[in-house]
Amino acid sequence: MKQTPSGFRPMGEEYAAYLRDESRTTGHAETISFPTTEQEIVEAVNACRESGSRLTVQGGRTGLAAAAVPFGGHILNLSRMDKVLGMGQTADGFTLTVQPGAVLSELRKKLAAKKFDVTGWSDASKDALGAFMKSGVWFFPPDPTEASATIGGMTACNASGARTHGYGPTRGYVTALRVVLPSGETLALRRGQVFAAGRHLTLTTEQGTTLELDLPTFTMPKTKNASGYYIEDNMDAIDLFIGSDGTLGVFSQMELRLLPMAPQVWGVTCFLPTVDDALTFTSLVRGMKLGEVSMEYFDGNALDILRRQKAEKTAFAALPTIPETAGAAIYVELHCQTEQEAAEKLFAVGDALEQAGGDREVTWVARTESDLDKLMFFRHAVPESVNMMIDERKKTAPSITKLGSDMAVPDDRLFDVMALYRRTLKEEALESATWGHIGENHVHVNVLPRSEADYARGKALFVRWAEAVTEMGGAVSAEHGVGKLKASFLTVMYGQAHIDEMAALKYTLDPQGLLGAGNLFAAREGGRS
Amino acid sequence: MNCIVCIKQVPSTNEVNLDPITKTIIRDGRQSVTNPYDTFALETAVQLKERCGGTVSVLSMGIPATERLLRDAVSRGADRGLLLTDRAFAGADTLATSYTLSLGVRRLGDFDLILCGKMAIDGDTAQIGPELAAHLGIPHVTDVLAITEVGGASVTVETAWQGGVRQVKVALPALLTVQKDVNQPRMPSIAGVKRGLEAPVEVLGAEAVQADAKRIGLTGSPTQVVRTEAPQRDSTAVYIEGDASQQAHKLAELIAGLTEGARA
Repeated sequence: MKQTPSGFRPMGEEYAAYLRDESRTTGHAETISFPTTEQEIVEAVNACRESGSRLTVQGGRTGLAAAAVPFGGHILNLSRMDKVLGMGQTADGFTLTVQPGAVLSELRKKLAAKKFDVTGWSDASKDALGAFMKSGVWFFPPDPTEASATIGGMTACNASGARTHGYGPTRGYVTALRVVLPSGETLALRRGQVFAAGRHLTLTTEQGTTLELDLPTFTMPKTKNASGYYIEDNMDAIDLFIGSDGTLGVFSQMELRLLPMAPQVWGVTCFLPTVDDALTFTSLVRGMKLGEVSMEYFDGNALDILRRQKAEKTAFAALPTIPETAGAAIYVELHCQTEQEAAEKLFAVGDALEQAGGDREVTWVARTESDLDKLMFFRHAVPESVNMMIDERKKTAPSITKLGSDMAVPDDRLFDVMALYRRTLKEEALESATWGHIGENHVHVNVLPRSEADYARGKALFVRWAEAVTEMGGAVSAEHGVGKLKASFLTVMYGQAHIDEMAALKYTLDPQGLLGAGNLFAAREGGRS
Repeated sequence: MNCIVCIKQVPSTNEVNLDPITKTIIRDGRQSVTNPYDTFALETAVQLKERCGGTVSVLSMGIPATERLLRDAVSRGADRGLLLTDRAFAGADTLATSYTLSLGVRRLGDFDLILCGKMAIDGDTAQIGPELAAHLGIPHVTDVLAITEVGGASVTVETAWQGGVRQVKVALPALLTVQKDVNQPRMPSIAGVKRGLEAPVEVLGAEAVQADAKRIGLTGSPTQVVRTEAPQRDSTAVYIEGDASQQAHKLAELIAGLTEGARA
């Protein structure tokens, strides 16, 4: 590599962790750098382009689709660009300008405590902070399970979480974005300013270069969706980059929109005898139009895993005792303006529960921070426990990993897709646990392989599900992004012709195919790996 | 077994703010929660009711907003609440508070057991329980870990004592203060929340409980908190760059700086 920037370090044992992410996929790379400014990103991008080296962008490495796992070349790790650069005041609230490596959990702490390091902030930012200090509680709604995610990573995969049911995914909260393109030039995008004309988008870089982009012709599913590029007629340019899985540019700065926190946050975990009862309950609650912000599902297998964890492991002893009769559970979260409103909606949930076969005496209501924490611990204990189980099984079958689905279907296909999952898992005699965002017909079916043969059958099953979900008008990845692990599903969902259109769009910006090689599409030959 | 549980409204542990001028804790009601120790006392009482029958009453002295916490206690298994609230109660130390609570206990009528948290997380005195027992002339046991036996006229309890566990049998009626983590306080159910909102919670002032004006509030308090300071804490992260040798040198310099700072 000619003119290697001084910040590039050869990959050694001390950087081994940067070859992996939460998907538990391991890649390979030659060098790594930790830029602290946009200029350093530009220098790294230029060096890679000039030497033909692949370049993989990393944030918190909490992704589940291996988008941040390098397939050769250089790792551009943005974790040291973690500052909050300023605050803005708008007609209806506040915005925060952050670097891409800002960690979600830290950002939440700063917002809750209203404590920011204002070094380098403009006077306008400080004025906005002054108004913010006097103005109630504000929050950044996206809530992926892994709070060590970075804002850049969340923007790159358009992350979702439990509250996406009510608040939508990350996309709606990114109001401005600075992007370093593979050419080394920069884009400053602000929502509401640059739009496509039909399916053609013209962008002008800050250096004055005009880019003409033909957008793919597919129609996105009308469900929660994080599968491939966001494309629609006359779309806002910023939306092309949000959710682009690190393939179109490197984010160097983003502006986030904050929302006022509802004064009353109530959560309730409801137990139901069977999965079908839980689906009926879901339909009933959705029909009531309560404005619930989350509906999170746990099947009987997930509940059994938690029962075992509570009995066997001290770390899980604090889990509340799950009722014996429960064959499924659904957590509903309500954000309300008054206690009376919250109570009325809670009682309506109780009515739906009784109608679906549950019992309002056998529910867990959380109205205090400490009880809400208990219910969050309960929800997060499921994936954590499954990861522990898989790690244990890897000792005897080293090549297996967790197989977690991420597909969503339209409301009217919820019963169909859940029946499909159950029937095919039974046919294949695979162990599984299912949980997730039932409010958006988006559950994570986790196949828990015990052997390599189980793993192979599970992978084959996921391809069948991708076909069926596509047939139902759904999305093959609803929130994790496609990354490297779900690229083949994307082909199932859109067909090769549309994948080629997406690839053509990418190669217009990145002719050598160096950025995020292997994400969304098979890596193009030629880039030095 | 009729139990009375005393609960206190305290600031949410994560969000204690001191008024920069008066140095007193800002209590705006919204951030307040039930003292965590008291939640274990309530759960102990509700489990006793489930085991032996009887009733659970909750009692508090506090600002009017405390009624919300009494209703919350009902949603978690208590049957009724009594809130003592009056401007005349304000500024009470533990002696005046425990006297006031004793009037509440008398108002609630016959009881077998009074349960309190070991202490409140804001005042940290652990005095209310024993003082209340003294006002009522009943025996008390502090730091209870478990109630091992319930008889008609006594209970046997285990308490933390000098690094070990002591078994104590105490005649009823009695007062117990319970340690934290002795049980897992339940969450309310939807039906419980409804009961909480509809429950009878009596709200009484000083006159209604025939309080002696000289023994309540600031007037009845021989002790006063003169000032409270928030402890200063500081933490920073430093990235150490370079090869192993350079990093080791840098680290040694940093440690030397810290130890000198500590000596200075």
